[in-house]
Amino acid sequence: MTPTPPATPLLSVSALRKSFRGTPVLKDVYLDVAKGEVVALIGPSGCGKSTLLRCLTWLDPPDDGFILIDGQPFGRALVGDTVRRQGRREIDRLRPKIGMVFQQLHLWPHLSALENVVRPQVVVLKRPREEAVARAQDLLAGLGLGGLEDRFPYALSGGQKQRAAIARALAMDPALMLFDEPTSALDPELVGGVLQLLRRLAGEGMTMVVVTHEIGFAAHVADRIAFMDGGRIVEDGPARQVMEAPADPRLAAFLDLIRSGRPAA
Amino acid sequence: MTFDPAILADYWPLFLQGAWLTVRICAVAFIVGYSIGILVALAALVPSRIVRALVGAYVGLLRSVPFIIILFLVYYGLPFAGIRFPAYVTGTLALALFASAYYAEIVRGAILSLPRGQFESARTVGMSPLQAMRHVVFPQILRGLVPPSVNMTLTMIKESAVLSSITVAELTYQSLVVQGNTFAPFEAFAAVTLIYWAITVVVARLAAILEARTGTAEREDVERNALAASFLTLEAPKRR
Repeated sequence: MTPTPPATPLLSVSALRKSFRGTPVLKDVYLDVAKGEVVALIGPSGCGKSTLLRCLTWLDPPDDGFILIDGQPFGRALVGDTVRRQGRREIDRLRPKIGMVFQQLHLWPHLSALENVVRPQVVVLKRPREEAVARAQDLLAGLGLGGLEDRFPYALSGGQKQRAAIARALAMDPALMLFDEPTSALDPELVGGVLQLLRRLAGEGMTMVVVTHEIGFAAHVADRIAFMDGGRIVEDGPARQVMEAPADPRLAAFLDLIRSGRPAA
Repeated sequence: MTFDPAILADYWPLFLQGAWLTVRICAVAFIVGYSIGILVALAALVPSRIVRALVGAYVGLLRSVPFIIILFLVYYGLPFAGIRFPAYVTGTLALALFASAYYAEIVRGAILSLPRGQFESARTVGMSPLQAMRHVVFPQILRGLVPPSVNMTLTMIKESAVLSSITVAELTYQSLVVQGNTFAPFEAFAAVTLIYWAITVVVARLAAILEARTGTAEREDVERNALAASFLTLEAPKRR
């Protein structure tokens, strides 16, 4: 019997560092995410969660460290003994593999919902327009936006906008989806729907990293919880274990704070 | 002293020639100047410090020197480089350079006024910076560009009068000729006033049509207000 080799993680982050004007925001972040895994990234405000997502998309180039997407180096590659920073084109080529849903969504207001989803496929993936339109219609219908394709973002509700933004990211056939606080900009009554949608994506096998304050989501949908504090991931483990038996005192304090801050549900 | 309209009746072909040359010079200077302006605005947003310093020097220099000096620098400077153009070409070039610095600032300001997330979301799906500009940024800033660009274009049209000082036979030059021949300066300059006014009215009118045609600004405004509102509500924590 040959032992099965350990599968390469879909996302592998090692020794990632980022400073802004000399202030370190990320200090040696390590994170491996297996294919199909859902990781909830939690932590106090200012701990570097959003910066980590921005570094993972190379919107803010990390100062140091490596990111591998499906085994392929993203942004910085180790060639022999030397570290080589990739050019813009190389970075752009991998970007569609990483779907990002921003907290503020950043839909393009001058384009209809359909065109928001179609345009990047045509421009970046060079898909024929008919194919891109068909794909966009499929996705929008699947996300409950059937019939709203021709609406402009201003005429969509908050929840609809968010689903349009998710469709835009999914249309690029990403291997990994990143969500930056997907529930924080929504009315409270819409939070449940978004969590359900994320649960569905997880069920379909999408690999996801979700920055969230929704402890319920972290506990019930995520496979793993990573807790960040002071620019490091200080605890990382199966969701249940992290929630019920936090090892790090900072995590325990954080969970207490969050649980006491919300009405008993 | 009496106002003598007969002078205008005799000399209208000169005014017409001058006006036509002014219009052509300004049209070319607008196209060339705006193209340079867009390139300079894009260069000003490139991460490279060297490029930004060059752009800053270009814009700063052109904006700090009176147009007539820019014109003389180009007119007397080009021959040093062994380049000899007819005066109207030199003049058009100088006018385009002069206007390009202001157009660049207009375009750069409009780009920066768009929330940065618009550009970033285009970059994250894999668009190149230029594709993001082309598909996401420029369609949204187009309408806002019109009013300040019209202002600058009107200024440029009026500055084109300075080309008369390097013997370009444009409108102002012709009025000086008429004045010299007839010793009737008021009649000549009154006619020129009317013609400049007519040119600028046409330009302003065209711009208004363009502004009305450039699509979705109202929608954008609604979107922006909604976005601003959502930021505001985020700032103020919901507690009740």
